[in-house]
Amino acid sequence: MSKKDGRAKRLAVRPYAAVLLIVLPIAAALASLCIGRISYPIGEILNAIADRFSGEEISGTAVVIWNIRMPRILLALLCGAGLSVAGCAFQSLFSNPLATPDTLGVASGTSFGAALAMLWGFGMIGIQVTAFAMGIAAVALTWLAASGKSGRNGLGSVVLAGIMIGSLFSALVSLVKFAADTETQLPAITYWLMGSLSGAGYEQLRLGAPIIIAGIAVLYALRWKLNILPLGDDEAVSLGTNIKLLRTVTVICATAVTASCVSMCGQVGWVGLLIPHICRMAFGSDHRAILPASVSIGAAFMALVDTAARSISAAQIPISVLTAIIGAPFFIILMRKSGGHSL
Amino acid sequence: MTLEVKNGRFGYGDTQLFEDISFTAEKGDLIAILGPNGAGKTTLLRCITGMLKWKSGGSFIDGVPIKKLSARELWKKLAYVPQAKGTASSATVFETVLLGRNSHIGTFSQPKKEDTDKVSEILERLKISHLADKSCRRISGGELQMSLIARALAAQPQILILDEPESNLDFRNQLIVLETLSQLSAEGITCIFNTHYPEHALGRANKSLILGKDGKGVFGDTARVVTEEGIERAFGVKALISEAETKSRVFRTVTPVSLSDGADTQNERKPCGIAVVSVIANGFSQADRINAILHKYGKYTIGRMGIPYRKGGVSIANVINVTLEAPDEEIASLVGELSAIKGVAVKATCAE
Repeated sequence: MSKKDGRAKRLAVRPYAAVLLIVLPIAAALASLCIGRISYPIGEILNAIADRFSGEEISGTAVVIWNIRMPRILLALLCGAGLSVAGCAFQSLFSNPLATPDTLGVASGTSFGAALAMLWGFGMIGIQVTAFAMGIAAVALTWLAASGKSGRNGLGSVVLAGIMIGSLFSALVSLVKFAADTETQLPAITYWLMGSLSGAGYEQLRLGAPIIIAGIAVLYALRWKLNILPLGDDEAVSLGTNIKLLRTVTVICATAVTASCVSMCGQVGWVGLLIPHICRMAFGSDHRAILPASVSIGAAFMALVDTAARSISAAQIPISVLTAIIGAPFFIILMRKSGGHSL
Repeated sequence: MTLEVKNGRFGYGDTQLFEDISFTAEKGDLIAILGPNGAGKTTLLRCITGMLKWKSGGSFIDGVPIKKLSARELWKKLAYVPQAKGTASSATVFETVLLGRNSHIGTFSQPKKEDTDKVSEILERLKISHLADKSCRRISGGELQMSLIARALAAQPQILILDEPESNLDFRNQLIVLETLSQLSAEGITCIFNTHYPEHALGRANKSLILGKDGKGVFGDTARVVTEEGIERAFGVKALISEAETKSRVFRTVTPVSLSDGADTQNERKPCGIAVVSVIANGFSQADRINAILHKYGKYTIGRMGIPYRKGGVSIANVINVTLEAPDEEIASLVGELSAIKGVAVKATCAE
């Protein structure tokens, strides 16, 4: 190995990969703006974007792009990035490749909150706020149930408590469905649970986006420290880390991000499991690489999958159906090719 | 830098694990903590480093209680190498060793060039540069142990504490690890390691702490502490310490003979005898240490002769002959202390 090669490997992300990671979500977003039930050439999209900023009169195309597609694509980018980062953080925290953003019961809690809000006839924002609050409450319950157990062994109890709280809230969701009006409320709840970005609007984003961005930003700032998460207690302490604080901050950020995502777009499975694994296969286990990669690839993946969900047929396909159909085979091919990647 | 443990006592609940543990580690000491399985060797290390709280007594670095130091301050001075078996991260060796820089890197900061340079330098020093880009899962136990030592060294500590660094390794890797420890202590880094092999303490550690099943610790110069009686008391095994010779050195080996029946064996004190201890040291870098040890045995010394060996006008070896009149155990202790120094050949010839 020449000295130069050796030094290149010292960089967490190689320059060309960094450029690719920046371009990827932008390209995915532009492609998503073009494609839909009505497709626009890229020139028209760029004109519409230019018009918006130059203050010229806004055309019909621009209205479609700005008021319908843009918020939806922004939501897809944010949720894709958020769920991937949260999944990545939880997998490292529990040093368990099967950990997902829902391991602590946040998605089940959020779903229950949304279902309850729909049962009570709340509006869009009401649903979002209730869902978010319930998601946080579920994780707080999980943490409380496992409290008193500290350290890495204690994390096993946390996962168990998460499974319990998760199934408790799933049961509560079923209860709400059971009580819901079968003509109007039940289909709405069921559809919401399958996940959809169709309700995307700027008001929702204004509420949910700052939480997702803040959570990702904190985890991104801590990205190198996250490498300590999979270590045992003694090891982590002997590196001079306040490991309890690091774990707590990670859980809070990942939970807030997930709750905010799920409260806007429902349960979108797979993204939080699939994307971090793809990133680990491609970039190894250094969070300085896999965290930004999760943001970029997660955002791009979600934008493209949602574009497919709204373009393939006249009726929109639930997004979690598509993430599973696209994700599972892709993941299997990748795993066979790379020989898998464990934490 | 001095690490001192004063009257340490610890136990879980009502069971007392050990009491009244006291010892002092000076700069450059290589200390072995010996004890049978279940004596609490790992627990003792965790207490020493403050990961567990002593029930009474405490650990002090240069007189300051370690609980008064912040985590960042403490873990810059002290580094801990856990047992390699519990660690199997998929990170590369380079990434793993880089984590050792943690106490030098701020919470929201990233490792800088000086950090990666430091890591490269340490990998080079421990001769494991070729492992840098390999996953910790794909390397051997010996390689993993060396990587963990490298990670500890990345913090640039003055005291290194290792939990059974050689216990799961083969001959060759045990030697690599133990040689590394000797090397580090010669460079002035205090090393404290746990082991259940008395042999690894003999002729390598200059001081030893033997932890018995009764929870009491005996601390002192290795040759005085790791004796047949000491081993029987701590391990409940009658053992024979015998000597094997090479051209330059005497190696002391421990052969377990039988399980102890518990009866105290009274060893009568051996009479004094005449002995000549011959020392050949490569170079003069350890001359002060050798002189200090010889000075300790001054009251037994009858005569002493030092001859610097020159080649081409440059002194390349220090040859010392010391004649003593002393009990056998004192001679053995002197030889033990001297042979713990790296690059020193020692032998004693005793009169019949």
